[in-house]
Amino acid sequence: MTDKTHDPVAMWQKMVGEMEKGFNSFANQAMASPEFSQVVNRAGGVAAGAQKQLGELMEKYLVTMNLPSREQVTGLAERLQAMEGQIGEIKSMLSQMAASSGVSQGADAASRPPRTKRPPSVGGEQA
Amino acid sequence: MNAPAGLDFAGIPERIQSEVQRAIQRSIKGVEYFSTSGPTLGSTPKDVLHSRGTMSLYHYRPMSDEIYRVPVLVVMATTNRGYILDLVPGQSFIEFLLKRGYDVYMLDWSAPRPEEKSLRMEDYVLDFIPDCVRRVQADSGEQDVSVIGYCFGGVLSLLYGAIHTDGPMKNLICFTTPIDFREMKLFANFSDRRYFDVDRLVDSVGNVPPEMILSSFEMLRPASRAASQIQLWDNIWNDEFVKSYRMFDRWATDTLPLAGEYFRAITKDLMWDNKLFNDTMSVGGRAAKLENIKVPLLHAVAEHDHIVPYDAARHLIAKVGSDDKEEVMLKGGHVSLVAGANAVKRLWPKLDSWLGKRST
Repeated sequence: MTDKTHDPVAMWQKMVGEMEKGFNSFANQAMASPEFSQVVNRAGGVAAGAQKQLGELMEKYLVTMNLPSREQVTGLAERLQAMEGQIGEIKSMLSQMAASSGVSQGADAASRPPRTKRPPSVGGEQA
Repeated sequence: MNAPAGLDFAGIPERIQSEVQRAIQRSIKGVEYFSTSGPTLGSTPKDVLHSRGTMSLYHYRPMSDEIYRVPVLVVMATTNRGYILDLVPGQSFIEFLLKRGYDVYMLDWSAPRPEEKSLRMEDYVLDFIPDCVRRVQADSGEQDVSVIGYCFGGVLSLLYGAIHTDGPMKNLICFTTPIDFREMKLFANFSDRRYFDVDRLVDSVGNVPPEMILSSFEMLRPASRAASQIQLWDNIWNDEFVKSYRMFDRWATDTLPLAGEYFRAITKDLMWDNKLFNDTMSVGGRAAKLENIKVPLLHAVAEHDHIVPYDAARHLIAKVGSDDKEEVMLKGGHVSLVAGANAVKRLWPKLDSWLGKRST
């Protein structure tokens, strides 16, 4: 085996690692300054504002093209979500009713292991 | 000229041969890398117990002949997918718990829909978690429930526990959970109230896009993505390295958007006013002081966590009102604490020995 201190591949890997650490450390110092926050948030604010204006323009375009607006699609999605929720509730109620009437709920419910496990140190067994 | 001390000339041909072989392997494996989709993640058998918008509650099928009395509910961080805790067989925290005899449920999140931009902190703490806890109780037939919260899932679990002081939470385990948000120094600077107009952002975009969340995480270590790609190329001949890289890379880039109002509350209450640390936090008008938490609590923190530095997490144990409480610091980072080879030998056995005796 070649000595790691003179192995060019190991040296390259070490150099990449050191460069990563050094750059991260340098960038972290720069990013901790209030000036950095100011610049980044100014740019982010402009982007968010532009996104909002573009969204409003698209709404107008969709109305002109006689296509459903975002609100209408969202309204449909909300109704679907409410229906999903109601189906879930009905399913849950049916499961509870089945459980209380002693009707089997399939292999999963029937095959649940007993809740009797003790930690190894208490019973002296191995987990 | 003399050779530098330690340089082994006899080994050079062998080293060159090895490097040539690796170069060939890199070419072959490089093609494979781009033509395959990587390992299937989150494949431990489970049933969806309940799903409502951004929230899903899973029940994992038991893998033991006998299970502990108290079921476990894992609360995932709202920024990321829960499959980090269920990577592949042998590297799955969920599978580990199941094999050790726990009855495991997970509260996982999907991307909030545009109409869910109005979800508030109240919806998470006073509706989603209590709803899941009730469903776990009904499904398991047990009143007691242990809760495990990862990162911000830990914050939500703490808020839940601080408000619901009369149960049914029996034990609380937090992984890398921030308490003092001033100490998340770069995040605090990114969201400096003098320059960061959170109202304008949320009012403009609704839900905060995942690209923004991912960028803010990556900015904490801006050189690491490029360096990891160099490492990938160096090690692309190594199937195990590539498998691990793909699992973690896929998860890390699979970031979720955050519901707008929820993000506004996180920014104002936690990042700006540091209310959890200052004991002034309330959710839906209900005080959420950490001292109200009296259940046994374990807090696992990572020695090299760059997302939640130790200074941001270390006050939890002092602040909760529990008599039975413990902090454990383990080697690793924010993610390697809970997943991967490091977690298999460090965190998971520790958690099992702590939780097992409190689960009967």
